[in-house]
Amino acid sequence: MLRIITRYLRLYKAFLFQSLKEDMTYRSNFLTLVVMDIGLVSISVILFKVIYGHVNTIAGWTFHQSIILIGTVGIVREMAYLTFRRGFLELGNHIRTGTFDIFMVRPIASNLHLAMRHLSLSESLGEGITGIVLVVYGILHLNNWSWISFPLYILLLFNSLMVYYGFSLIINSIVFWVVRSQELNTIIYFFMETSRYPADIYRGIGKVIFTFIIPIGIIATVPASALTGRLGWDFAILSLIIGISFLGIGLFVWKMSIEHYSSASG
Amino acid sequence: MPISIHTKNLRKTYDYFKKEAGLTGSIKSLFWREKLYNEALKGISLEIEEGELVGFLGPNGAGKTTTLKILSGILYPSGGEASVLGHIPWKREPAYQKQFSIVMGQKNQLWWDLPAQESFTLNREIYEIEDKTYNYNLEELTELFDIKDLIDIPVRKLSMGQRMKCELAAALLHSPKVLFLDEPTIGLDIISQDKIINYIEEYNRLKKTTVLLTSHYMRDVERLCKRVIVINHGAIIYDGSVENLMTTYADHKIIRLRFSSEFTVNGLEKYGEVLERDRLSAVLKTSKSDIARTTSRILNDIPVEDLSVEDVDIEDVIKKIFTG
Amino acid sequence: MKKYITLFHINWQNSLQYRFSLFVYIGGYSLYIGVLLYLWSAIYSEGQSVGNYTLSQLTTYYILQLMINSIIFSYVSWDVIDNIKTGNFSNFLTKPLDYYMYWFTINISGKMLESIFIIITAGIISFFVSDYISFPEHLSTKLYFLAAVILGIILAFELDFCIGMITFWLTQVRTFKYMLQTMILFFAGAMLPLDLFPPVLTKAAEFLPFRYLVYFPISIYLGKIENPLPSFGILIVWILIFFILSRVLMSRGIKRYEAVGA
Repeated sequence: MLRIITRYLRLYKAFLFQSLKEDMTYRSNFLTLVVMDIGLVSISVILFKVIYGHVNTIAGWTFHQSIILIGTVGIVREMAYLTFRRGFLELGNHIRTGTFDIFMVRPIASNLHLAMRHLSLSESLGEGITGIVLVVYGILHLNNWSWISFPLYILLLFNSLMVYYGFSLIINSIVFWVVRSQELNTIIYFFMETSRYPADIYRGIGKVIFTFIIPIGIIATVPASALTGRLGWDFAILSLIIGISFLGIGLFVWKMSIEHYSSASG
Repeated sequence: MPISIHTKNLRKTYDYFKKEAGLTGSIKSLFWREKLYNEALKGISLEIEEGELVGFLGPNGAGKTTTLKILSGILYPSGGEASVLGHIPWKREPAYQKQFSIVMGQKNQLWWDLPAQESFTLNREIYEIEDKTYNYNLEELTELFDIKDLIDIPVRKLSMGQRMKCELAAALLHSPKVLFLDEPTIGLDIISQDKIINYIEEYNRLKKTTVLLTSHYMRDVERLCKRVIVINHGAIIYDGSVENLMTTYADHKIIRLRFSSEFTVNGLEKYGEVLERDRLSAVLKTSKSDIARTTSRILNDIPVEDLSVEDVDIEDVIKKIFTG
Repeated sequence: MKKYITLFHINWQNSLQYRFSLFVYIGGYSLYIGVLLYLWSAIYSEGQSVGNYTLSQLTTYYILQLMINSIIFSYVSWDVIDNIKTGNFSNFLTKPLDYYMYWFTINISGKMLESIFIIITAGIISFFVSDYISFPEHLSTKLYFLAAVILGIILAFELDFCIGMITFWLTQVRTFKYMLQTMILFFAGAMLPLDLFPPVLTKAAEFLPFRYLVYFPISIYLGKIENPLPSFGILIVWILIFFILSRVLMSRGIKRYEAVGA
């Protein structure tokens, strides 16, 4: 078990350096992406500020708490791009051109190979950096803040990544059944966009759907809640369970879809 | 010699949907589509020994690539058995994957914007190649394929022929016991094709790697392989030596003539079977053994501006085998 | 003219091919609208209000905005950019086809299909959430809304086409386009109704043509504009301006393309 983990960590490092080299060959693109990201995040912040100009709280979240929320989405996004996000974006092309076969032939799990082949630092770096800045800014304006919430925050960030990954696996596996992949990316995009809203806005059936089935309520709200002192232990544990479940289900669906692809592809 | 590759009655059937043309067809297809079946492989049985260099020949759509995909684990068969190096390919066990390599003609595995060297280093990680082995192989391969000064150039700047050499090298770094090559020379110019074929031949000679090569170019197989398996419509129609194939079935050549002026005289039949004929040109099929004599007779008797001699189309050879 | 009708036909057929997309479309839309409804209900539930919008007005605004995104906004510029960059554009130069009309036709045919999907989705959804959205009372409002949408489609296409034409001059056009598009969305009122912005931005938005893409049609629908005719006048002027700009950019661009080589 430990051997496998070290092997994949080594592989990750190798692939990451490779990606960074590739990123660097397009230096101007690198900078442009970062600047663009910062611009987009600024717009989000401006929009929230305008809304808060009219109201005081959104489902009990103050402006600075919402800032932490937006920042958290950015951080999770960058974490996703540093791991699996770009790989899924390229999946449709790989299948269309037949190059996906290469991922099945190597002695690496296909989902991990796909992810590592397309690691990207620059694509969301601007969001990641501004995310951290926003979170820090938000924290500075909070009254009830304790150091213990910080490690919990980090842990929950990784949990959110797990949820995001599991969900992405499920949605992207569809491309092995129905070749069209554009809509899938739209779903994932929607997923991250709506994660910015505090999950406390959902009630009743909405709460169930957006926590357990399409977990936009978990991604940013849960870690941010940890920092803002709104998170109860029971919900924290529930979130971890949801994270592990999504990962498990995602891997299972992916495996099944590969098997289907193996018997059906031409 | 031990058996590397073994299949018995391998079958593969695809299903696909038929769509009607036109607007009504499109709307209908939103709700219901007719399912059709395509039997790509109808029962392939073969055995390849360790170190053999076998050519897998057949027209497009014959089932060559499908077979290769099954043997490399990319596809599940619909029926039958197969084992390579003692493993069932579609189980995709890492232990198996580390022992073979597949290179597909038009599909790059090297990273496009980086020098090939970087992809090599990555492959070392992927296949967990020991440093000593890696360094030795790298030296040997770059020497053998003459790519020492190419591997530090970004792959996208290389010509297709150079790229193919690097792809091959990358595939051999982990000393695979079995090498699958799917149309490795497709799209390359004649000179590059020759070079690649030579390298494969040398490598096989040196390392005794089992090589299974598909192509629809007769030339590749002729030059490289002692044994050839011909497949058509999903079934093996010939499995034997290349010599036998050529002497038995490809015993004709094609002569293309262009006359220097309109020539309507009949009687070309005495030189061979007339395939095409018009006032200014003709295409003849004639026995290979006589070719020198026949061409000199033609040049002597007829006002010819241009004459070229070509191989018989592989489709013809296969048709011959199928009917012959 | 006939060739454009045939083109319309073929593009239409192309779009029908994937029934999976349809399913995802309706599902995705419904979910997104669900999120928006929850968001605004939560904001309003605490007795707050946003500007001079009632809850139903604001939720209607965002739901309409979502639909307008697909109906009014044009996406052909991505294909135009690809077309020019890969050099496939040369094929157009050899055919007796007007480039502008070609893309206009593709744009419209694509929208016809999407509009049907959207209207079906809108019908289904409004059945479930009729409490939360407002409907226009008078027939005249509905007609003005329709007119605004149709004119909006034309203006949106022209803007998009002009952006596509920039490819003839700029290599990093995709990044530029992305930034430009974000700005357009912002000033169209796609992210937030224009009258909720700080007064400085609201004023700036009045002088730009983008408001006619989202804010104007929706405001008509919500009954916030008493006499829309003068605004329609300005809208038509903008349409003419950008039509001329499109043609000018196209002919200049083609000259440049031919001079530089593909």
